[in-house]
Amino acid sequence: MSILTDISENLQKGKAKVVKQLVQQAIDEKIPVDQILNEGLLSGMSVIGEKFKNNEVFVPEVLVAARAMNMGASLLKPLMAEAGVQATGKVCIGTVRGDLHDIGKNLVKMMMEGKGLEVVDLGTDVAPETYVQTALDQGCQVICCSALLTTTMCEMENVVKKLEEAGAHDKIKVMVGGAPVTQAFCDQIGADCYTADAASAADAAVEICKSIA
Amino acid sequence: MTERENLLALLRHEPYDHIPVEFNLCPALERTYREREHQPEQSYADYFGFPWRNVKGLVQDDPDLARFLPYFEGLMNDRVTIDSMGVGHESTPTSMHMTKMICPLRNAETVEEILAYPMPSFSAENNTGLAAEVQALHDRGVASAGNMQCTVWETAWYIRGMENLMMDMMTDEEMAAAMLDRVTEMSLQRALLYARAGVDILYLGDDIGMQNSVMMSRELYLQWIQPRLKKIITAVKAERPDLIVFYHSCGYVEPFIDDLIDAGIDVLNPIQSECMDFASIYKKYHDRLCFHGTIGTQTVMPFGTPDEVYQAVRRNLDAAFDGGLLVAPTHMLEPEVPWENVLAYVRACREYRP
Repeated sequence: MSILTDISENLQKGKAKVVKQLVQQAIDEKIPVDQILNEGLLSGMSVIGEKFKNNEVFVPEVLVAARAMNMGASLLKPLMAEAGVQATGKVCIGTVRGDLHDIGKNLVKMMMEGKGLEVVDLGTDVAPETYVQTALDQGCQVICCSALLTTTMCEMENVVKKLEEAGAHDKIKVMVGGAPVTQAFCDQIGADCYTADAASAADAAVEICKSIA
Repeated sequence: MTERENLLALLRHEPYDHIPVEFNLCPALERTYREREHQPEQSYADYFGFPWRNVKGLVQDDPDLARFLPYFEGLMNDRVTIDSMGVGHESTPTSMHMTKMICPLRNAETVEEILAYPMPSFSAENNTGLAAEVQALHDRGVASAGNMQCTVWETAWYIRGMENLMMDMMTDEEMAAAMLDRVTEMSLQRALLYARAGVDILYLGDDIGMQNSVMMSRELYLQWIQPRLKKIITAVKAERPDLIVFYHSCGYVEPFIDDLIDAGIDVLNPIQSECMDFASIYKKYHDRLCFHGTIGTQTVMPFGTPDEVYQAVRRNLDAAFDGGLLVAPTHMLEPEVPWENVLAYVRACREYRP
């Protein structure tokens, strides 16, 4: 078994310490950094994402896999900058103003990082202008808004409006999600993409980033 | 029939007189109730004639919450409060009645730290008025309930942090067992106090569902959560076989319903209509389970017309052909629910003949 397959399989089992050791070993063996990332860490996370989408694994399995990924990635990060490895795209994510629920948002973030996206986490209770300003300042292609409450989901429309006011809706797209959010709601407020689960959100964000780049 | 007799008959599949009404209003809607119904004083539970009341919260042996302060070093300010379990809550200017949770054992790395946590304990000596309170409710003709939702899983993760506890369950079994056992032990003390005081209803709950899926695999659920819930219910029912156990979980929980029945629950709440089809759940489980809820608070209550609310209530009561449905909104009603929709729910219940 190649070391990269080994990294992927241990990541899927959530064995963080083993993943970290194997990533160090792969670095020592001079395997290119982007190959360790893509064929080791992200390949493992991609399997977990698919299984999560199909209800074969659940949140706890995703959490331990993401922890393993982050431990491996912490070794790769400094080397990636040196090697000029670029992220697939950049997303800023947050739970909308007035809403403090972050479990779903955190899960989407993990899935997106597992697809090689760089994610700026704005936390919860995020004002519409904060999303837009961050996306502009940091060069994000996607703004990703989460809401759990019917009371707060209407804030998503304000994010779209702010983005349009800034004249940036052509180069930054708005994704929406969360328990009460639907495709119909997404269409109604002029957002660009709705997905029903975290793994699909990550796939959709990758597609958007590709189409913009 | 009093409201209490009517409710107990409904839940025991005996003939009953009328469909009870029951719901929860957020503070903003409670203000609407006072204005619209011209009720400056009377509670909405009394005004609409709800079938049960919760007895007051239990008094801890050590009521001094200052013992939890070391877990919030550098985090305390005038917007942070600590609840009776030692969990911190930070309000924000925009978050209405909701708060940001600060989990006291979020940084724990050893079993010793979990064992050292000053978990509340509860005893009969400090809760002497309970039985009289229960009797007073019964004398008023309303049923009594001991409300202890967040029974095992939720209280444990409120203290430890959800992601931490899930990861402990996956990779550090000693940590997970210590946390869950300590909460189970505490919940058992509380449950027994309520049961011995003579409550009609013990209202338990732990959210184990998400919108379209369950929060954890059935294997993990059966390994960690269900046996602890079952332990509590078995112990209280050994003393009070007549006690009615309600169980709440938000979201999609269909894969766990058999396990919840096995744990000993009698009534499942809320059968969130956006996640599960009540008619088919009813068909499958009505001989072993009663139901509370079923009227969607993500859909029809905030966004439907009064007529749609009325029809949804009737449709679900019709679907419950063998009774055993306490029809109600699935969750607390939030500020955007039109008051007319609340009244339509009440009217639909009152006009329906069981």
